[in-house]
Amino acid sequence: MANDLTAVRQPIERAQGLPNEHYIDEGIFEEEKYAVLFASWAGLAVAADVPETGDAKPIEFLGIPLLLVRDRENKVRVFQNSCRHRGMILVSEPKKIEGAIRCPYHSWCYSTAGKLVSTPHVGGPGHNTHEAINKDDLGLTEVRSHIWFDTVFINVDGNADPFEVVHADLLTRWKEFDKPMYHGGTESHFDLNLTTNWKLAIENYCESYHLPWVHPGLNSYSRLEDHYNIQEQGKYSGQGTLVYQQLKGPDDTVFPDFEGLSDKWDTGAEYIAIYPNVLLGAQRDHCFSIVLQPNTLSSTTEHIHLYYAQPDTSQDMRGRNAHQWKGVFEEDIFVVEGMQKGRHSPLFDGGRFSPAMDGPTHNFHDWVAGKVQDHRAKQNA
Amino acid sequence: MSGLDARLLDAHARHDNPALVKLYALAAETAHDTDATCFYLTHAYIFALELGHPDTATLHAQLAAYGRV
Repeated sequence: MANDLTAVRQPIERAQGLPNEHYIDEGIFEEEKYAVLFASWAGLAVAADVPETGDAKPIEFLGIPLLLVRDRENKVRVFQNSCRHRGMILVSEPKKIEGAIRCPYHSWCYSTAGKLVSTPHVGGPGHNTHEAINKDDLGLTEVRSHIWFDTVFINVDGNADPFEVVHADLLTRWKEFDKPMYHGGTESHFDLNLTTNWKLAIENYCESYHLPWVHPGLNSYSRLEDHYNIQEQGKYSGQGTLVYQQLKGPDDTVFPDFEGLSDKWDTGAEYIAIYPNVLLGAQRDHCFSIVLQPNTLSSTTEHIHLYYAQPDTSQDMRGRNAHQWKGVFEEDIFVVEGMQKGRHSPLFDGGRFSPAMDGPTHNFHDWVAGKVQDHRAKQNA
Repeated sequence: MSGLDARLLDAHARHDNPALVKLYALAAETAHDTDATCFYLTHAYIFALELGHPDTATLHAQLAAYGRV
């Protein structure tokens, strides 16, 4: 069911937010799946999910069974997690691939790079070749992927411009962070399950308007007036702060800084939503990546990972830092779940934006609406 | 049921794939015709391939000698 998105794409002073059905209608959710999430570079996981060669992790993304693998050459790849023979699921739980990926059905075997290496009995018992079966044509189906900020982005439909082209501005903006970052380990990863549409988590993250009301503790040292909007039409949006304060441990110790940062980052930090579904944070001494997994129309999981400039930081401080961030992110849960409930008000018209404060949110709505309109135009062509 | 059959079934039940590599290779040695030999060699090779087992290359070479890979 196509709806009118004209009002969303107006200048912010006149614009309305995305209509209710973009949050509560199964048909629109299905449409957005193709128009927004499959057609762009969506976040799937982090490379740290498969830290060693041979590590394999099955992940379902919007109903698609995928397999994240770190191959023998240390390259992280994403495959469809199904055998080229009968479509059987290849890997059903995280595991180490010691040799080959063996299908549990008829034992066709694939290398960690996706090459089909053996087809037992394909030509009859004890005959492992057949002239009709060309192994070179039957490797695992690889999904286009790109890793940045340790985050694994995928383009399911294969038609997006290269990641470096789509996100050239952001890559330039954060070029100073284009250096090794080290996952903080077990205590630096946590998940939050939210009863909300995935877009509301983006919308809440990228604006600072709510900080004094929802995060009063944060606002005590990082006031609203110390923040600025970040918005690049058709690309990304977020917020920055001018008063970032480092976590301090015993004797005022702090995490080591990323090397070579400019003065801007001494007290500055930026929090950017990279469309469609990844939330990133950049600070002088640690970064984070949050991958939003849209489970259903109204269920989303946030996979949160913290990274540091050095591999040997204090475990105790990493734990405290993760605890602090988890507290902040948990404060947002009632908001994103409350907005989801609010979208069931039949006369809610998408809402009006504050021209001063809601630019990053409108930027995202405008981008979603544009992707949906492009999709509909192609469907109707 | 032969002793080897019983050991194979037991290894399957325990998901003991290293044992399956050895037992299927043993079964290949006792088979009476080429197809049966290659059937067992194939199983040994596949389980070895999955494991990254040190016998993988040898088993592949044996199958290659029969023109079966």
